This record gives sequence, structure tokens and C-alpha cells, in this order.
Amino acid sequence: MARYLATRVALGILTIFLVVLLTFLLMFVVPGDPARTIAGPRATPQVLALVNANLHLNEPVLSQLGHYLAGIVHGDLGVSYVQDQPVASIIGARLPATIELGLAGLALELILGGALGVWDGLRAKRSRVLAVVNVGFLSVPAFSLAFVLLLLFGYVVAVFPIDGGTGGDRIVLPALTLGLFGMPYYANVVRDAMQESLSAPYTRTAVAKGLSRRQVLRHHVLRNALSPALTMAGLDFAILLSGVVFVETVFGWPGIGQLQTQAFYNVDRPVLMGTVVVAAVLVVIATLAIDLLRMVLDPRTRLGTR
Amino acid sequence: MSAAAPVPQETAARRGGLSVSDLHVHYGATHAVRGVSFAVSPGQTLAIVGQSGCGKSSTAHAVARLLPAGTEMEGHAVIGDFDLAAATGRELREARGRVVAYMPQDAMAALNPVQSAGRQIGEVLRFRRGATRSQAADGAIELLEQVGINNPPLVARRYAHQLSGGMRQRVMLAIALAAQPLVLIADEPTTALDVTVQAGILALVRKLVIADQMALVWITHDIGVVAEIADHVAVMYGGRIVEQGPVHTIFEDPVHPYTRALVRSPRQSRDAAAKARFDAIPGSPPLGDFPPGCPFHPRCPHAMPPCSSEMPATQTIAPDHTAACHLIGAPR
Repeated sequence: MARYLATRVALGILTIFLVVLLTFLLMFVVPGDPARTIAGPRATPQVLALVNANLHLNEPVLSQLGHYLAGIVHGDLGVSYVQDQPVASIIGARLPATIELGLAGLALELILGGALGVWDGLRAKRSRVLAVVNVGFLSVPAFSLAFVLLLLFGYVVAVFPIDGGTGGDRIVLPALTLGLFGMPYYANVVRDAMQESLSAPYTRTAVAKGLSRRQVLRHHVLRNALSPALTMAGLDFAILLSGVVFVETVFGWPGIGQLQTQAFYNVDRPVLMGTVVVAAVLVVIATLAIDLLRMVLDPRTRLGTR
Repeated sequence: MSAAAPVPQETAARRGGLSVSDLHVHYGATHAVRGVSFAVSPGQTLAIVGQSGCGKSSTAHAVARLLPAGTEMEGHAVIGDFDLAAATGRELREARGRVVAYMPQDAMAALNPVQSAGRQIGEVLRFRRGATRSQAADGAIELLEQVGINNPPLVARRYAHQLSGGMRQRVMLAIALAAQPLVLIADEPTTALDVTVQAGILALVRKLVIADQMALVWITHDIGVVAEIADHVAVMYGGRIVEQGPVHTIFEDPVHPYTRALVRSPRQSRDAAAKARFDAIPGSPPLGDFPPGCPFHPRCPHAMPPCSSEMPATQTIAPDHTAACHLIGAPR
């Protein structure tokens, strides 16, 4: 186990390094002069030269990469070109909001999609409810769903505040958008897994034991049927952690996604880079966590058991 | 148990064995089992032998009441004065495991992949016999010992994928035996196993059947297994039992042309000359659509005019020996 963890952590660090490398090189393709961005359009050549020297911007690419990587190791992600604040503290201020929304969205997806999938999976034929959900939510773009919710519950029936920001029940609408958007994917996966599990020989064994329907479902069908949903949730969680741009933008949710969009428009390279690095770290941690959780739930994925 | 569920108890008086009569199974338009009757006494083994599609597994599933939803069955499967074939709802649930237990062919698929062997055995003790969690865990270990597992506490903690084929099948046997059933239906449980592992399990099952006075129905396509385990044999073809009798009669004095071909198949003979003389039955068994008359007539070397139009009646040849063939009594 220790060896497995060491390998996974090493692979994780390698992944993060490669992501940093790739994004760092991409930054040089993006047009724009950082010194001009920082110092403003009327800065003198002397000022520009000073800025370039301070930020090592006149050094070769590899040397700049070296400075950046050395900074990361010390928790220093540079200083924003626009806000004149350390990137680490800008992101640190935004991260809790993203994690909060990510967890809430994931929980709603799993609960709504899982419940619908289990309910529908107990029927031999796909129910109309799932058919409607499939057509309704899969065909509607996520941002229009966000606007519909915004309009309905923020304006027509003003039950939730839509003034942006976090706190109170402001999380309900963005989380519900994520939940409803992800629901049909989970519902379909769980429905198929339910059907498979219900007709599996191990379920027949449970029936032959004389267990009640409830016991058969609870002890044999459900745990096997929910396992694929967990795999999906792992991938989803990684995506949600790196910030969901459209939901954060529509609801004015001050998370990483929104920050990233702003940084992109401002050509604020350190902030853009910082969000990518933080997202990579979070994705690596989330996938490892999900794999460990799978080992707890499914003995076939445990180590050294073959 | 409530008075409303007259499920036979484990008293010696009610161990009257299993008596199946006029069993039919329909999968939609397909009439897979067409009037099958047999009886098995406690402590005895009936082997039902036949090729794929002959209806032997459908017969097993019907008696064990494990047919898929939407399948129609008719007939009787009586144990004591309880008709398993007519049981529904709670009565049926009470009967499962305690009256009739089932051992499937593929133990790997029949075991829940995410539950330990011990838990799956103990579950029967917990939910069917009112054991507590720790009693169930101890009981599971005892059952594993009974089915000849070395180091039962270790195997109880193992999952299906960590066990060998033979061990998995022994775990299935422990599950089947956990509620002390009166009847055990074994649906080719040793087919996928090595010959030596198979022999060990056959001997074990035979010993337990006699010790616990269960009635055992063993489904197989392997005539060699029949010789090892059976007291009586029912040969199935085309959804019907074509011949039935004590094992020595079936092997030494078969009357139905299909049985004769089956017991003389080359596995049965070590004599090279006999192997050379062996003629495979031409053609293949029917699947689903049975021909009119005797189902075997298209492949039968002795087919005569009535065979293709009239279903032969089951005739008694000796008190214990029956067969359904127009040849019986006819001049050969």
C-alpha cells in the first residue's frame, strides 16, 4: 500500500509538472506584452525595462520556467499583472467557494441521478420520467438551464438571492444547475447498472436464499449498481474542482472558474497559470481519493488480493 | 413461522422427498419443458441428463422456482404436502433455501463480487434462521468446514475473485446447505471444474446428501458424472423425459435409442475398438421448435411411421424403469 501510494504521488507530481510545462509554453504563444499590461500604455521605455528585469521577462524561456517552478515549490505563484497581489492569495481567497460549489453540485448530481436511476432501474421498461429528463436536460445547453433557474427562482418566484457572491442560500441555484445538468448522465448509468445487477446470477443466488426483495436490493443489487456512478463521480469531481465557468459567471459565484475567465481577458498570465496549477493539483488529489474510495467499496480493486 | 405458510419443517416425518408431476415450462411461444414427472427420495440422487436445449436446466429452474419473470410454468413439485410449484409470495420466500436450495453452474458469477464468502453464507443464517451477526459469522465458518474447506476462517474473509473454482463451488454448496434444505437442485455445478476437483465435490455432495437425508436433483450433460453420483437417472430429450430408471438399468439395459447412444458414447468405453465402432448420433438436438411426434425421430436409426406423428406414451418396463418410445413392445 505504501509503495502504491508513493507511486501514485510520484505520478501525480509528474502530471502536475507536465501540465505546468505545457501551459507555461502556451503562455508565450499568447500575444501581448506583460510589461505594457502592468505599467500601462503611457509607460516610458525605462519603466518597461525595469518591469521586464524585475519579472525576469527578458531572460530565456527555460530560465523563466526555472524561476516559476522554484516559486511553486515555495508556494509562490507570482504576482498578478492586474491586481498587484500575490496569485497564491488571490486563488486562496477563491478556492473555498469553488470547492463548496463543486461538492454541492456533485452531491446533487449523485442524489438526483442516483435516485432516478434506481427508481427507473427497478422497472423493466424505461419510464417516461427518464425519457423526459433525457430529452429535456440532455438537449438543453447548461447555460440556458442556469438562466431558466435564475429567472424562475430568482425573479418570478424570488425565493433565492441572485445578487452574486457566496453565503446564505446563494449556493442553491448554482448547485441545482450543476445537479440537474449532471442528473441524466448518472440516471442512465445507474439504470443500466441496475438492470444488469438485477439479472445477474448473484442476485438470483440472493433470491434463492429466500431473502426479501428489500434485502436482495439492499445487500446485493444496489452496491453493485452504484459502483459505475462512483467512477463517473470521480471524473466529474475533478472537473467541478477546476471551476465551472458558465455557472460561476451566470450566478456571479466568485470561484476559480470566474477568476480564470477574468484572467484570460486581461492576459493576466500569472493568475491564469496559477489557476491551471491549482486545478491540476486538485484533480490529482481528487482522482487519488476516488481510487482509494473504490478500494474500500469494491474488493476486486484492492491491492495484493489476486 | 406463521400458520399461513405451511412450509415443511425439518422434521424427519416430513422428509418425504420430492415428487414432480406433469411439469411444463413455456418461454413465450417456446414450450421448453413438456410434461416432466419424476420423484426423488430423501438421501437419494436423481441425475437429469441431456444435451443443451433438452429442457434440463429449465426443469431445474422451475423446481427451484428461479425461472425468469414472465416465464409460465404448470405442474406440481410436491414435498411432503407442500406444493412448491403453487407457492407464491411469502410462502414461496419461506420455502426458498429451506425447502429447496439451488446450486448454479457458474459459481464465480453466482457469488456477489463485493461481499466476502463468509458474509454471503452467514446471510442465510442471519436472515433466514434469526442468527445474530457474530453467530452468522461463526456459522459460516462451520459450514465452510463441513464442505471441506481448509482454513475456513481465512476463506470466510475472501472474495469470489480470490478463490479457486473448486473453492467457489464449495462456498456455493455451503450457501445452499445453510438453511438445511429438504431438496437440493444442482444445475451442472461441476461442469467448469478440473476432473479431480469435480470428483472431490461429487463425493462431498453425495456424503452430505446421505448424511442430511436431502433429495438431490443433479443436472448434467456429462454421462460420466451420472455414473459417479446418481441413484436414479432421467434422460431428457426435446423437453421430455425419454427414459428413467435406476442408474445400473440405464447403463446396462437402456431401451430408448437415445439413451443407448448416450451411454455408449466413447467416454464410456476405454476399449479402442469400441471407440472405433462408435457412431455419433447424426444431426443435432432440436432447439425450441420440436418436431411433431417423438422429438428424437429425425435422428433415430429405428424411426418408423408413427414416430413422426404420434408422441410415444411413457411405458413401464419394470417397476422402476420407464421409457417413451414406439419401439417398446413393437417387433424389432
